[in-house]
Amino acid sequence: MQESRLIAMKRRLTVKWEDFVLALRLLERAQIWIAILLLPLAIFMLLPLVYLFNHAFKPLHELFLFPPTFIVREPTTGNFVELLALSESTIVPVSRYIFNSIVVTFLSTIAMVVTGAMCAYPLSKHPFPGSKIVLGLIMLALLFATEAVAIPRFIVIQSLGIMNTYLGHVLPLVALPVGVFLLKQFMDQIPNDLMEAAKIDGAREFTIFMRIVIPLVNPAIATISILAFQSAWGNTETSTLFMQEDAMKTLPFYMSTLTSGLANSVARQGAAAAGALIMFIPPLVVFIVSQRKVITTMAHSGIK
Amino acid sequence: MSRICFHHVHKRYGKFKEYAVKDFNLEVEDREFLVFVGSSGCGKSTTLRMLAGLEDISEGEIYIGDTIVNEMPPKDRDISMVFQNYALYPNMSVYDNIAFGLQMRKLPKHEIDLSVKRAARVLEIENFLDRKPRELSGGQRQRVALGRAIVRTPQAFLMDEPLSNLDAKLRVQMRSEIISLHKKIGVTTIYVTHDQIEAMTMGDRIVVMEKGIVQQVDTPEKVYNQPVNLFVANFIGNPPMNFVHGRLEEHGGGLEFHTNRFALKLTEKQAYTLRRLNLVDKGIIFGVRPENISFEQIMLEASPHSTINGTMELSEFVGSDRYYHMNIGMEKNLVARAHPRYHFDDGMKASVAVDMNKTLFFHKDTGILLTE
Repeated sequence: MQESRLIAMKRRLTVKWEDFVLALRLLERAQIWIAILLLPLAIFMLLPLVYLFNHAFKPLHELFLFPPTFIVREPTTGNFVELLALSESTIVPVSRYIFNSIVVTFLSTIAMVVTGAMCAYPLSKHPFPGSKIVLGLIMLALLFATEAVAIPRFIVIQSLGIMNTYLGHVLPLVALPVGVFLLKQFMDQIPNDLMEAAKIDGAREFTIFMRIVIPLVNPAIATISILAFQSAWGNTETSTLFMQEDAMKTLPFYMSTLTSGLANSVARQGAAAAGALIMFIPPLVVFIVSQRKVITTMAHSGIK
Repeated sequence: MSRICFHHVHKRYGKFKEYAVKDFNLEVEDREFLVFVGSSGCGKSTTLRMLAGLEDISEGEIYIGDTIVNEMPPKDRDISMVFQNYALYPNMSVYDNIAFGLQMRKLPKHEIDLSVKRAARVLEIENFLDRKPRELSGGQRQRVALGRAIVRTPQAFLMDEPLSNLDAKLRVQMRSEIISLHKKIGVTTIYVTHDQIEAMTMGDRIVVMEKGIVQQVDTPEKVYNQPVNLFVANFIGNPPMNFVHGRLEEHGGGLEFHTNRFALKLTEKQAYTLRRLNLVDKGIIFGVRPENISFEQIMLEASPHSTINGTMELSEFVGSDRYYHMNIGMEKNLVARAHPRYHFDDGMKASVAVDMNKTLFFHKDTGILLTE
């Protein structure tokens, strides 16, 4: 009886209060205990976010308070005003950085997802001699820190002549080994019969890929989009190394200049706190929008 | 609709020396319902997949109509296939699943719509057209898979164990539906199964395969009554045929099958054939189907030279019949299939009469059928 109601609830899409109560009632005692145990941990994980939000609204004297406080006492928008004022005084307007960031993030995210999927598909469904080695090499790439490959990358970008172009931002990010791996794992689970049925139905390889494979690995695509978005949005490396012109640099780079990185821990802390919040919001929005699918992926693939 | 022809087709996987399918020759008539049957790993699915274009052909040619299709991609072969696990596209609605093949062939929309609805009507799935496959039961999914096949009018339908994921009752129902569908549409159909009952009930002809080699191609009646060798005799029929090893000996003017426990007198016709084959005083395998063994008093009295005595070990009641397992002192029990009215306590002595007209003799070493 309860199960059928639960199924009906899933079909309905809208959640009513009584459904919530029903779900609670269906929980077993052990599950409730686990929830009680996990709750403090969840709160603990939430603390940095709380801190980030509060910090952005703290007046100067609260920013440097010792011991530091989590919750802002006298909230002010002063930090944002300071950030705006600062940006007005720079030669390159902040809007340009924001524009650059949006373009670069958008292009790289798409590039990462598309190449990831197109790389994973043959590795998963059309194994060729040496495909395992190729996959191994891709996995190996996970081991290298960005710093380790900075110089080779610089040489490549320079000899390609794409310094100070958007391509210079995007190209170094395109290969996303985690994405390839995750998508391959997902594609492995698609039964070959589906592809064969489509072949007999008259579909070409590209149609099979677009109309059957991609929709079925949708949750993985959502996850990779977030990973890709995050890595592109927060990336300062390409701005630092490959962009000599200020007008081609991105927002995170600009943010890091506000406090001159780690060299300075006093000046412009307010503007930096406001900037950190601004930087944080887009990934948060993206995550909230696609979180359901992401969680499915995590549950499926066993990654955490 | 078309004839299909296999001409010395071989299949070998990669470096393996052994053939998965060996020298497969077959002509499938137009509008025929042909069943490939065999135990798992006998090469029946591989053969079907070679025909579909999902596996390469190592040697030989396959013709659909008059065209050699060896190098032709599946989409150009104009066939449709039903898979064991249905292979419905989970991301598409039932409608789109059925329409997919037509969309790929770039038919106009209204035509697609018409065809899909017609197929849905035939299979009685009109009410589920906007559902996703996961919202359907096994039987409904199977219908959708069939719908995807019949929505086009291909040269041939290929079915790879389409009913084996259904429960027993539904399987019987779908079996008769597929037969009547075939009668209605009349497209050449090749049906793969490991279930001999499916093979017997559905096929116009049956292809029995074992270890990649065709054992027998014939009508269900012939395959049942005149299996060409021990394998076919054993594989087809449930409970399987009884086999007894023994010798042929001349006795009182007639030929007899001798074991150290009993002797059976052969019919004139059998004796004639076996004498001509020079098998007198040699080892032979005797085969009799369980239903050709009788407990009737009248039979026992009428044929004193073809009775076997033994003790009853157990009996299985299956409703219309009972299977009686009798110890006759040989390595295997003799299984008789008779009316359930006979009651024997376990361990009781019993005599049975064998209907010698319906018994078969097989060669001791090669297993080939010697008598007709």
